[in-house]
Amino acid sequence: MVIRPRPFSIKRMPGFSLLALACFFALYMPLAPLVVYSFNAGNNIALWEGLSLRWYVAAWENDLVQSAAIRSVVVATIASVIATVLATMAALGTTRTRPYRGQTSIYAMVNQPLMVPEIVTAVALLILFALIKESTGYHGYAYLVIAHTAFCIPFAYLPIRARLEGMDHVLETAAADLYATPWRTFTKVTLPLLLPGILAGAMLAFVISLDDVVITEFVKSAGQDTLPTYMLGQLRRNITPEINAISTVLLGVSVIMVTVIFFLSRKKT
Amino acid sequence: MKLMFNAILSSLMLVFSGITMAAGELNFYNWGNYTNPELIEKFEKETGIKVTITDYDSNETALAKVRAGGHGFDLAVPSHSHLPIWVSEGLIANARVDQMPNFKNVAEEWRNPDWDPGRQYSAPWQWGSVGVMVDTSVYSGDINTFGIILDPPEELIGKINVAPEMNDVISSALLYLGGEACSGDKALLKKARDKLVEAKPKWKSMDYGVIEKFAGRDLAASLYWNGAAFRARLKNPDVRYGYPREGYSLWADAVVLLKDAKNVEEAKTFMNFIMAPENAGLISAFARYANSIVGSEKYMPEDMATAPEVVVPAEFIGAGKFYPTCSPEVQKIYTAIWTELQK
Repeated sequence: MVIRPRPFSIKRMPGFSLLALACFFALYMPLAPLVVYSFNAGNNIALWEGLSLRWYVAAWENDLVQSAAIRSVVVATIASVIATVLATMAALGTTRTRPYRGQTSIYAMVNQPLMVPEIVTAVALLILFALIKESTGYHGYAYLVIAHTAFCIPFAYLPIRARLEGMDHVLETAAADLYATPWRTFTKVTLPLLLPGILAGAMLAFVISLDDVVITEFVKSAGQDTLPTYMLGQLRRNITPEINAISTVLLGVSVIMVTVIFFLSRKKT
Repeated sequence: MKLMFNAILSSLMLVFSGITMAAGELNFYNWGNYTNPELIEKFEKETGIKVTITDYDSNETALAKVRAGGHGFDLAVPSHSHLPIWVSEGLIANARVDQMPNFKNVAEEWRNPDWDPGRQYSAPWQWGSVGVMVDTSVYSGDINTFGIILDPPEELIGKINVAPEMNDVISSALLYLGGEACSGDKALLKKARDKLVEAKPKWKSMDYGVIEKFAGRDLAASLYWNGAAFRARLKNPDVRYGYPREGYSLWADAVVLLKDAKNVEEAKTFMNFIMAPENAGLISAFARYANSIVGSEKYMPEDMATAPEVVVPAEFIGAGKFYPTCSPEVQKIYTAIWTELQK
């Protein structure tokens, strides 16, 4: 009897789950003490003095935290809505057309914020916006919104495009065959099918905007601290579990959003 | 739908609200967690000027943003080491702080610092020193030397922290070896490098946030700043702050009026305001560093007005000095030593 070696199968990879577990452990373990100490009763981020919610209350009642949090959410909402609309159009323009020259370079351009180091974008925006601010005298939120929109676009674009690529052209062709106008085809067929992708993209963009530090730090005008830049300012001097509490809430929001995105963009089987 | 419309409308209002700036505003650009909210409340109540605070986390960030222009800030708080750069680049307007009514409260020794001769540009905010913190229950010998860190006694080995600040660490080593901070003497720099490399295995960490670790007795010594030493003593009564007699460096942060400030009068009002003892006391009460205003002790918490970490004992005053930023050549050597130390 000849023993034949087993053919390679992607289903059997010994040690793989162990490795995956180790990776998850390394990724998530550092977050555990952060979350645990946010419930500390004492003033300390490394000395446990009992269970309490006092730092959540403190953060909630801190006017600076409140206004920074509201600012973060407003900027993230506006930026993610604009980014999602633009990303949807870009995704349609790169998948629902006949192949044309320059399609790949458009794809690369849309995803440029993923490739260029954030600090480079930040410094470039600092210089550009400073020129505009000086010549117009306008110091409002538009700069932050524009900057956030720009780097959110690829994050909204990728899930939308993935969804579009997985969708059957035949349905749209059939609608056109039945004399539906292109606009009617879009609103009645394409858009409803695409909606989970759009929602996933929008939420991803929202989370990315909510978490951004580097670009915001350089672009913000007077009085425009967002929650992450506010936290950065706190770190050097006096760290209390209040920062842990804020971080835990931010972490919670991100986890919830990512979970929702996962369920939305999951293919129905 | 209506809800969405409202959301869009209010967001548009938010976007455009930046255009109009009502009179009586002030945009204050300061280190994060450094401004006492009570101070701002008091100022707003007394003057009717609305203050907006924006945070930064390093001299470099602040300098980069102000340099680029169009920032919209009126006042900033650079450290003494960077202040001459701001002046020489024309980023600061001359507010003639020395002619303000409350200038009379500024202590004699703070009226003519090297980094702002004649004190025309900057109103004092806070100042402090780089020294050593020691848990005296672990080591009870002489703590007024950088030897605690660089030639540590047996008891402290493995329980030492060093603040991860390149300039403070290397300058302290140079001072310990009898030189000056930012010295261009290559032989001395080499000696400082050898000393640091030799001492490093005896350290436990190079980190910020030491107060908790002294409270939990995880650390027994650290190269650090006086304000943190004071706060650590409140949590662990055995902690003492040493002023190295070989020489130690001082730092000061000061409020300056920016050249392109929109609210110049409001800014000057604020600069004058913080030189009043009761207001300077509030500044110190929050961040726990000393200010330079005579009579402000009366307005500080009692434990602070007499703290040896805040009020430098007479015998050590002479050893403390301000050092400017090093020359680019020395900075390069500092960076090389620092990189080696990080390995």
